[in-house]
Amino acid sequence: MTKVTIRNLTKIYGQAIKAVDSISLEIPSGEFVSLLGPSGCGKTTTLKMLAGFESVTSGSIAFDGDDVVAVPPEGRDIGMVFQNYALFPHMTVRGNLAFGLEMRKVPKAEMQRRIDATLDLVQLGPYADRYPRQLSGGQQQRVAIGRALVIEPRILLLDEPLANLDAKLREEMRVFIRDLQRRVGITTVYVTHDQAEAMTMSDRVVVMFGGKIAQQAPPSDIYDYPVSREVAGFVGQVNFIDGFVASVDGDLACIETPFGPAEVPAKTRGRGSAVTLALRPEAIDIVPDTAGHGIPATVVSSYFSGAILDYTLAMADGTKVDVKTIARTRFEPGAQVRLSVDAHRFWPIEAA
Amino acid sequence: MQTASPGNRPYLLLLPAAILLIVFMAIPYLNILVTSFRNPGQGTPYADGYTLMNYARIFSSPLYQGQLFNTLWIGIVTTFATLVIGLPVAFQLGRADLRWRGLAYGIVLSPLLVGIVIRSYGWTILLGNNGVINRTLINLGLTEYPLPLMYNSLGIIIALVHVFLPFMILPIMSAVQSIDPAVVSAARSLGAGRATVIRRILLPLAMPGIQAGCILVFVLSLSAYVTPAMIGGLRVKTMAVTVVDALLDTFQWPLGAALALMLSAIGAVIVMIFARATRMKWKVG
Ligand SMILES: Nc1ncnc2c1ncn2[C@@H]1O[C@H](COP(=O)(O)OP(=O)(O)O)[C@@H](O)[C@H]1O
Ligand SMILES: [Mg+2]
Repeated sequence: MTKVTIRNLTKIYGQAIKAVDSISLEIPSGEFVSLLGPSGCGKTTTLKMLAGFESVTSGSIAFDGDDVVAVPPEGRDIGMVFQNYALFPHMTVRGNLAFGLEMRKVPKAEMQRRIDATLDLVQLGPYADRYPRQLSGGQQQRVAIGRALVIEPRILLLDEPLANLDAKLREEMRVFIRDLQRRVGITTVYVTHDQAEAMTMSDRVVVMFGGKIAQQAPPSDIYDYPVSREVAGFVGQVNFIDGFVASVDGDLACIETPFGPAEVPAKTRGRGSAVTLALRPEAIDIVPDTAGHGIPATVVSSYFSGAILDYTLAMADGTKVDVKTIARTRFEPGAQVRLSVDAHRFWPIEAA
Repeated sequence: MQTASPGNRPYLLLLPAAILLIVFMAIPYLNILVTSFRNPGQGTPYADGYTLMNYARIFSSPLYQGQLFNTLWIGIVTTFATLVIGLPVAFQLGRADLRWRGLAYGIVLSPLLVGIVIRSYGWTILLGNNGVINRTLINLGLTEYPLPLMYNSLGIIIALVHVFLPFMILPIMSAVQSIDPAVVSAARSLGAGRATVIRRILLPLAMPGIQAGCILVFVLSLSAYVTPAMIGGLRVKTMAVTVVDALLDTFQWPLGAALALMLSAIGAVIVMIFARATRMKWKVG
């Protein structure tokens, strides 16, 4: 298995388009890392440089400590899965899987064994002799993954592989790819703009904006402890709540907010300074006005979306707050309610 | 992908094309077929009554058989030569990262803008015993006597290759253009070098274009008249030239019709064999 080390990697197209801006990333052997970010943030470019399809403007890429920047794609021993699958249309499923092994001059018997094992792995045994156009999108996707894995590459790269599938299949394939990756134990870089995809699949999420890494952390840390408004907003819905430092006690600061006091890790700011806190919509509960405790608010809108109810509420001072709840009691727009907050879920973002 | 059908009778849309095809293709062909079985006339295109004599004449005449064979030979060599010359050009022009695409198109298509008579006449200026090529070679001292470039099959083939090159390049170019660049990337990441990518990926995927180009050039070469007539002169006659002679000069319509049909039939069989041999299983069914 292979460790990937990226240092100050930069890609400039033409004179001025900085697609990737000095990113550094260490991917331990066997880890599943997602590059997450909006379209145009440089994810694909980063992946192409890893695969060798795009030249590197500056910086270095090393596999297990060996610099590969000068190595052409065919010498990098990489398994790549493309968004549109890029299967060889003139070869059967078996032919597609065989191609990489033929390039490696694997003996016939060994080749058959590995192809059969991989067909099993991607559950395509019965389709071995079909051509790509005779397969569904999901099946083509699995051929693409099988073709990348059968060569037992050092690293698996996937560029938005699920973008062309319908919602249900997409969720199935998430689990499928994740399980497969765990079983094979291959170092994997997965590019996506879908935060749910990145969250459910990855050991670590790397959030990118404008060619730079904004934050890299395990999915739950990205969600609960985002470093910036941008990150917080990209990985899910969020309320930004303004407050000020009431007191500092060692590592903890007590912040006065419209929702009452919140304890968060202290930053180097003195008493009285303004702070913005992030609060996820599901950290707020709605209780009837009659409950007598909580912060008063008015329902502005409520939407039913299956598992959850999606509310927007207005506080006394007019501030809007989003709330998601699994409670089945539904408050209609205009209703007076009270909000109760899980005080541990506040997270400081930046000064207001 | 399915296109939406206009109403529930989409086949009605085929009607105009079908009528055109019947009026302008089937009826003339039937007419030729019937004519080929008519009795030859004296001073008239044909006489009353029907006969197999025209076909018997072809089968017993070494002259006609030789012309037929030579025509097919010219067609095959022309096709092969345009393929060899056109393929690399088409591959370059089909590249996704090509700059000056408009200019490239213009250069490929430009021969088609000049009438075929003028182009063929141009070749007689180049190929003749006193032509540009021979004069140059003689002046350079490379040859003492002019090379025989006109009034033979070689001259006809040279001119036909030039005339038909766009018909080879265009379909291959469009096939190459339709290849997904990611497929090439995929092959490379699986370990294929540039040469292997061409041999294992690009050539097979360009096959529909290669097939179309070859059939097009072969069929056009068989039926070419102007170029073989001007460059072959009286010395070398292709079937098309002989057929026109029979129709206009010697006024033997039944024989001309039989010769034309023989050429078409043999040409069709060769095209069918070629199409069968280059059939792409991944495309059909
Ligand atoms: N070949 C190219 N030439 C010029 N600019 C490019 C090229 N490829 C990508 N870019 C630019 O680089 C930026 C990053 O692109 P990309 O890596 O494809 O983003 P992502 O995959 O995150 O959507 C974009 O602004 C894009 O327009
Ligand atoms: Mg992309």
